[in-house]
Amino acid sequence: MEWTNFIRLLNLLFNGALTSIQLFFYTLLFSLPLGLAVALGRMSKRPYIRGPIKFYILIMRGTPLLLQIIFVYFAPSFMLPEGFRINLDRFVAAVIAFSLNYAAYFAEIYRGGIESIPQGQYEAAAVLGFTKSQTFFRIILPQVIKRILPPISNEVITLVKDTALIQILGISELFRVAKNESSRLFSTLPLFVAGLFYLAMNWVVTRLFHLAEKKLSYYK
Amino acid sequence: MQILHVENLRKSFDGKTILSNVSLEISKGEVIAVIGPSGSGKSTLLRCLTLLEKIDQGKITVEGDVMVDSPHGHPRYAPEETLRKIRLKLGMVFQNFNLFPHFSVLQNITEAPVHVAGVPYEVAKANALELLEKIGLADKADAYPYQLSGGQSQRVAIARALAMKPDVLFFDEPTSALDPELTGEVLKVIRALAAEHMTMMVVTHEMAFARDVADRVIFMDNGQIIETGTPEQIFLNPTNERTKTFLQRFSENG
Repeated sequence: MEWTNFIRLLNLLFNGALTSIQLFFYTLLFSLPLGLAVALGRMSKRPYIRGPIKFYILIMRGTPLLLQIIFVYFAPSFMLPEGFRINLDRFVAAVIAFSLNYAAYFAEIYRGGIESIPQGQYEAAAVLGFTKSQTFFRIILPQVIKRILPPISNEVITLVKDTALIQILGISELFRVAKNESSRLFSTLPLFVAGLFYLAMNWVVTRLFHLAEKKLSYYK
Repeated sequence: MQILHVENLRKSFDGKTILSNVSLEISKGEVIAVIGPSGSGKSTLLRCLTLLEKIDQGKITVEGDVMVDSPHGHPRYAPEETLRKIRLKLGMVFQNFNLFPHFSVLQNITEAPVHVAGVPYEVAKANALELLEKIGLADKADAYPYQLSGGQSQRVAIARALAMKPDVLFFDEPTSALDPELTGEVLKVIRALAAEHMTMMVVTHEMAFARDVADRVIFMDNGQIIETGTPEQIFLNPTNERTKTFLQRFSENG
């Protein structure tokens, strides 16, 4: 391949990657806090809160994300009552589907982390007079974050690669662009170059998590 | 002056009675040692008094404020506001220290004064450093709990409780997780507090400590207070058969 063509390919892939990266950041922005709320609901003593949350997690983890993307995009345009039907923007639909899906996974990671904190931490905080929310945000959550960094990094790395799924909605993200170029040029090269793009992104993610773990290694 | 008053406290877990008919009072400046076999309800009693467990029946009063009463056989706790006020008067030191691992020693001690009592940070810090001096750990202010020995951890836990200036300090087997060498340094701190007339209630298996430091000893068995008296009465002239057997076993083992 000529250099100019290769530069052109890189440029196209780069633009596709930008869309993937956008989806990546929006998903984290919404799913990380939402996951915490879901985790708290999952641990609620009230069965009418815990029950539906368990069902939600089951659906999100038990069905293909690809199917969830399709559902979120198409359902509002035919399942809502007449007059309320809306056509979601493709990208918005993708962000909603991803956020809902990843929140379920993050929730279970949070739950594991929260439940691993010894009861004595809550008791020490209680006798010192900390309120429930102070106890959670000042005492429990910082310790939880340290413990859950490794499983969270797993999910975040998976998320980078999962962004390729939104091509089902015809969004020109990295993988779709590479596939189009591949058929146009009768060459698998664009796909492998796209693979290097994913690898580079995940190298950055891995580095960041490594730094975060190092930063939190000041205590045990 | 009476600091704490307990009347006919009853507590059970899943239908199994842990405490029954427990009545006691703590006066200002008094050091009370609670002794008794494992499972006799000593720790549960402390946990009920510090609001870590809810009682099933009885009345607890702290400096005139009713924490809980049960006029019709069911416990009725005071509103959260009152309980908050009461909590600030009670301090607790745990068997397993329960220090906050993500905070330095200094922050372990200043966190509650600053964020619960609203003390300015500089004041809380000065007070914390003074406490660290007192327990002989001034050089550990910036250390993290994982860097401390068990004895040092427990001394920090005591400082952390003292930083809130409680009116009564409870100790739940403070030396049970420590080897004999480290036990000594913790008991020394508690002795020093006793000399300053800090009001304390100590659940302990250290009979020598109970005998030397306590003003009053409570012997518990099977969820009841069997006998209470001065250390001389309990250790030299126990009247109850069960107290005698318990102490005998102790002198045989130790």
